[in-house]
Amino acid sequence: MYIELKNINKSYGSFKASDDVSFGIEKGKLFALLGPSGSGKTTILRMIAGLEKPDSGEILIDGKVVNDIPASRRGIGFVFQSYALFRYMTVYDNIAFGLKVKKVKKQEIDARVKELVKLIGLEGFEKRYPSQLSGGQRQRVAFARALAPNPQVLLLDEPFAAIDAKVRQELRSWLKEMIQKLGVTSIFVTHDQDEAIEVADEIIVTNRGRIEQTGTPIDIYQNPATAFTAGFFGVTSELEDYKAFRSFEEVEEYDRAIIRPEFVKITKKDEVQKYKTSAVEGTVERTAFRGNCIEFTVRCNGSILTARRELDEPRVEVGETVDVFIYRIFITHGDEVRLLPNNAIREESVVI
Amino acid sequence: MKKKVRIIPGFGLSMGVTLSLLSLIVLIPLASLVVFTAKMSPSEIWHVITRKRVLASFEVSLLTALIASLINAVMGVVLAWVLVRYDFPLKRLLDGMIELPFALPTAVAGISLTSLYADTGTVGKIFAKFGIKIAYTRIGITIALIFIGIPFVVRSVQPVLEKLDPLYEEAAGMLGASRVQTFRKVILPELRPAIFTGFGLAFGRCLGEYGSVVFIAGNQPFKTEITPLIIMAELQEYDYSSATAIALVMLAVAFLILFLVNLIQIHNSKILNGGH
Amino acid sequence: MAKETQSQTVGAKPSPVVKWLLIGLSVLFLFVMLVLPLITVIQEALRKGFAAYREAISDPDAFSALNLTLEATVFAVVINTVFGLFAAWAVTKFRFHGKKLLVTLIDLPVTVSPIIAGLIYVLTFGRQSAIYPFLEEHDLRVVYAVPGIILATVFVTFPFISRELLPVLEAQGTDEEEAAAMMGAKGFTIFRKITLPHIRWALLYGIVLCTARAMGEFGAVSVLSGHLRGQTVTLPLQVEILFGDNKYMPAFAVSSILVILAVVILIVRSIVEYIGKEKK
Repeated sequence: MYIELKNINKSYGSFKASDDVSFGIEKGKLFALLGPSGSGKTTILRMIAGLEKPDSGEILIDGKVVNDIPASRRGIGFVFQSYALFRYMTVYDNIAFGLKVKKVKKQEIDARVKELVKLIGLEGFEKRYPSQLSGGQRQRVAFARALAPNPQVLLLDEPFAAIDAKVRQELRSWLKEMIQKLGVTSIFVTHDQDEAIEVADEIIVTNRGRIEQTGTPIDIYQNPATAFTAGFFGVTSELEDYKAFRSFEEVEEYDRAIIRPEFVKITKKDEVQKYKTSAVEGTVERTAFRGNCIEFTVRCNGSILTARRELDEPRVEVGETVDVFIYRIFITHGDEVRLLPNNAIREESVVI
Repeated sequence: MKKKVRIIPGFGLSMGVTLSLLSLIVLIPLASLVVFTAKMSPSEIWHVITRKRVLASFEVSLLTALIASLINAVMGVVLAWVLVRYDFPLKRLLDGMIELPFALPTAVAGISLTSLYADTGTVGKIFAKFGIKIAYTRIGITIALIFIGIPFVVRSVQPVLEKLDPLYEEAAGMLGASRVQTFRKVILPELRPAIFTGFGLAFGRCLGEYGSVVFIAGNQPFKTEITPLIIMAELQEYDYSSATAIALVMLAVAFLILFLVNLIQIHNSKILNGGH
Repeated sequence: MAKETQSQTVGAKPSPVVKWLLIGLSVLFLFVMLVLPLITVIQEALRKGFAAYREAISDPDAFSALNLTLEATVFAVVINTVFGLFAAWAVTKFRFHGKKLLVTLIDLPVTVSPIIAGLIYVLTFGRQSAIYPFLEEHDLRVVYAVPGIILATVFVTFPFISRELLPVLEAQGTDEEEAAAMMGAKGFTIFRKITLPHIRWALLYGIVLCTARAMGEFGAVSVLSGHLRGQTVTLPLQVEILFGDNKYMPAFAVSSILVILAVVILIVRSIVEYIGKEKK
């Protein structure tokens, strides 16, 4: 493990930001710290950076305990949420800053800055001030500035939060590509599950100051280990009484029955369907066009659930009675979660 | 041009009152200065302002105001820093005290500083032992001007420092900068426009200051005579032409300072708000 | 909280030595420059005992000087408040050409040396002025008389109130007033119900600053006064006269009145500023 957190605790007054947090990160990987706001993800990032001190526990980087090493000597690059570019410095001076303070030779600084400016594709912008750049360009400069001193670790706090939706998509793939190319161990904080799934090699899910689960995006998505993770990913709906839906195993004690849109198949009455006997009837209450699909809100057995249909499938209208079939359900009990497949399906491997 | 629709009432009245009072109190009296100047020939004005005694007074005024404002610029940043960044007992008292030079009549400050810094005064005594005279020298003038100028830099830097996002310092720290480097390269540039503005305002005020200086200056021609005092002397001799000519120079310098302060602010907002 | 943790961990450890050195320097500087002069005034005023002090401040000249000072201050505060309110209303609630120029002109008096402020009134109303014969005819005296002193005081404090109001009104915008006007409210009602609550503290703050400066004005008043004892002498001028006559103790005794007023103003200022901040 390149970065390791061991039993970290941190409180702000009575608020517990980190509750016995432990995890490890392999060298060269891109990790996402994912969780709702207030889940303690930024605190973890800031403690690794040295911007906050843990109340107890150890932080190790490359096998060394760094708790008492100040932020400025940890050799970590940090990209701030709002970038914190120095407003009175040009792009060039911003990127050069980390080298200048280390009294690196002028020619070396110049070469390194030129290299980075080229890497982020901002040649010709060296003399501009941050205010003269677009949001995406500022983000790139912040990235280059953090990388200039050749850090072993790169930390990014909500790196895409301040960018408008259109550019965000583009920057995500750009950042992922850059980090892979450079091979720098990176952790970024996000509250956006799509972002984490799309960008990260591995995801650490945080909730209420604790680590819920660590794993690859597909692993976490498909096999949530805790009730929280099961409910956090995707557009989830909750079933009032899952036993009212046919052909599921009956579990005695449970708290919630959670499904995602891809767990639900809705069929028009006149369409052919595979599991007709296991389907139940529901009424479409709302439809919403989502760009690449149509999303339905369906009332069914007293529950409100969300389902999707392709654009080229026959139209389903509001008020229409449809057949609803559920492939599988996450059943939670306390912190535990269990996947209940619909017994009507023989083959296990269903592609989501 | 399109006729503007004004929904809010009272434009005519408020504009009328504003312009009448402004004209009566400020514009017409200032215009009389222009009218009076127009009666004089340029050579006449030149002759007055190049008199040796007048030139010497320019030197005294500029030099003492400059030194006092520089000291206040440094102390202003220190005071603002201490008041914003540190916690200590009686901090609020210290903060409230900064405006004293605005609230205390200059004449009172003048006589008090004079008696403090005279050879027999509490502070002057200490320096007199080393043969340093303060009152009735240029040092005395400078001290009075420091007193007058204290609030300017503090009060212009303080709000900027309060609003300064700690992120900049964190960012500098993450890039390996020491605290001194962070201050010099990151914080100081953020404060610089405010420091210049405060410095400019203090400098302008010091150049025109009269009340606190006349007592401590000693008013010796060529040595400790400030320009406002010369104007005063000319007025007492009913030599309005000379007074006006010298006043013109002072006004020109005051406007120049104002212009420079504005220039800095324009340049600064360009950097912060974009544009090329 | 954030600031505290940050200063603990970023960069090298902040040294308490630097902190206390800077605090020490600040305290020393303010003590020598501000506190000592205040102490000196009180000390010198009481040098010859309390009885002598009481006698000095109950001098009829001192009393008439106090009266004139208060008179000039009241004039300055009233005129400048009226001006400040109307000017701030005109500048912030409407769009018109030359707004920047107007604001610059309003601010002009603070950049002008008080001596020059006095000079321009002498040139306007003095013996060489074009309107002097007219004034003479109607037995109106401005220069070396009370009206001149009042005018000079108004001039040097001219922008004090509008300056405090402008930024507040600017930030508040015109939406609320426009909404009220659309509903049919009249000008004064809009001002009283909508605008005034926003600017109450700024107005009070401006009045405090105006009072302080008006009371203490020396240079401009000195030019226009003529120093007729008991008639055209304000408190600061009285201080000058006594000091010039080598009557040090009485000079400081009169000064002590001004010191007390200044300290009261500072306290009021702090309170107003504090409440104003709280309200935000």
